[in-house]
Amino acid sequence: MLSKKISTVAVACAMLGGLTLSQVANAHPRWIMPSHFAISKEGGDWLAFDITASHGTFVLDKPAGAENARIVMPDGRQERPDAVLRGKRRSVFDFHFTEEGTHRVQVNNFPSYVTHYKAGKRDTQKRLRASKVDRAALLPEGARDVISTLFYTRAETYITVGKPSEKPFPLEGTYLELKPETNPADIVATEPVRFQLFFNGKPQVGVKAEITRDGTLYRNQQEQIDVVTDEQGFIEFTPEVAGRYLLKATHKAPIADNPLADNMNVSVHLTFEAVLP
Amino acid sequence: MKFKRVFYVLSALLILPNWVNAKAIPEQAVMDIEFTIPTVEASIYARPYVAVWIEDKQRQPVRTIQLWVGEDEWLKDLRSWWRKVGRNDRAVVDAVTSATRPVGQYRFSWDGLDQQGKRVEQGDYTFYVEVVREHGGRNYLRQKIQLAEQDFKLSLQPTEETGLINLHYHIQ
Repeated sequence: MLSKKISTVAVACAMLGGLTLSQVANAHPRWIMPSHFAISKEGGDWLAFDITASHGTFVLDKPAGAENARIVMPDGRQERPDAVLRGKRRSVFDFHFTEEGTHRVQVNNFPSYVTHYKAGKRDTQKRLRASKVDRAALLPEGARDVISTLFYTRAETYITVGKPSEKPFPLEGTYLELKPETNPADIVATEPVRFQLFFNGKPQVGVKAEITRDGTLYRNQQEQIDVVTDEQGFIEFTPEVAGRYLLKATHKAPIADNPLADNMNVSVHLTFEAVLP
Repeated sequence: MKFKRVFYVLSALLILPNWVNAKAIPEQAVMDIEFTIPTVEASIYARPYVAVWIEDKQRQPVRTIQLWVGEDEWLKDLRSWWRKVGRNDRAVVDAVTSATRPVGQYRFSWDGLDQQGKRVEQGDYTFYVEVVREHGGRNYLRQKIQLAEQDFKLSLQPTEETGLINLHYHIQ
């Protein structure tokens, strides 16, 4: 009797766990929120970071992997968080910044794969967490229009200690990447901001980005800024109001000769602040 | 070799007239500043952080005249001053920073020298004041000024975080 109860609980837990995981991976945008974006204290200072995945801009919902956070130092080397904590609504880490210049904090995780297909008499749209390789064993008989997609999101933000670095970090050359032509430490309300987006290391035309200011819970409209990259991959926009913003850029493209996926759905989620003019 | 020398002489001739035209302000020129921290009724009152500085026509910082902050951790809260001046030059911070001040009237002067100790050229400048108070507000004041051989007096009207500010530029 007891063992049956335990196994029921275990199954329920596993189901819940699976549910949470898939939601985090597929649907909820992951983002980083630093306690501060600039440090003026001589010798450096501690900052704290919240990492979560949610449908609301800067609304805490599900903890999303502070363990995988990396701090890209001004010279380009990568450091790990100093202290990590995983709560129910967010995961948190601290880092002691001591080097002058611009740092990038990123939580990029790993590529995940989702297979969409149609099944049954009514062509019901279904999905599996599986790549092209894994799907064969999992697809039901008669599955149609089977497409596997690679998902990859770079959640990132920039922290500046003292004087900002002059040059942006070099590109990795994979998936979608954002090069801040305007240093994030120089974003001022009412002044134009210019970023460049790259897909697999090349400037990408037609990437859509939405830029949303903090506080959507307390206003009727999202008031998001919608922009699309030009021929050289540039977007330009002006945050009219000072505050914290989340930029979500996404690019979808078919990929040839990939053993794991037919399509790519890659994103950059950049958190930045626009300071008072 | 010869060509190079001619090139240098030509460039010198081109630069020289500009250099001669850029006339410094008179040696005795001083700007006196009267500054007031007003009384603010607040449940938690902290002395404000204050930055007073001058920028040139190209909006480049020329001189930080006063910086009342205390601990450098809070320098960044003077958002505009930090972004335009402080973060780029730690030496300025070390040179001018001092403790926060209580409510009251203050007088200080600018000797017409830039941060490097050089007398500034005659022309258009902007006088800036940024005041930020913990648990309180921020005021950011700008006043265009013309530094030449003429005396002038200007007043900046009080705001939430600043009292009356008087500027008096004079050739002693």
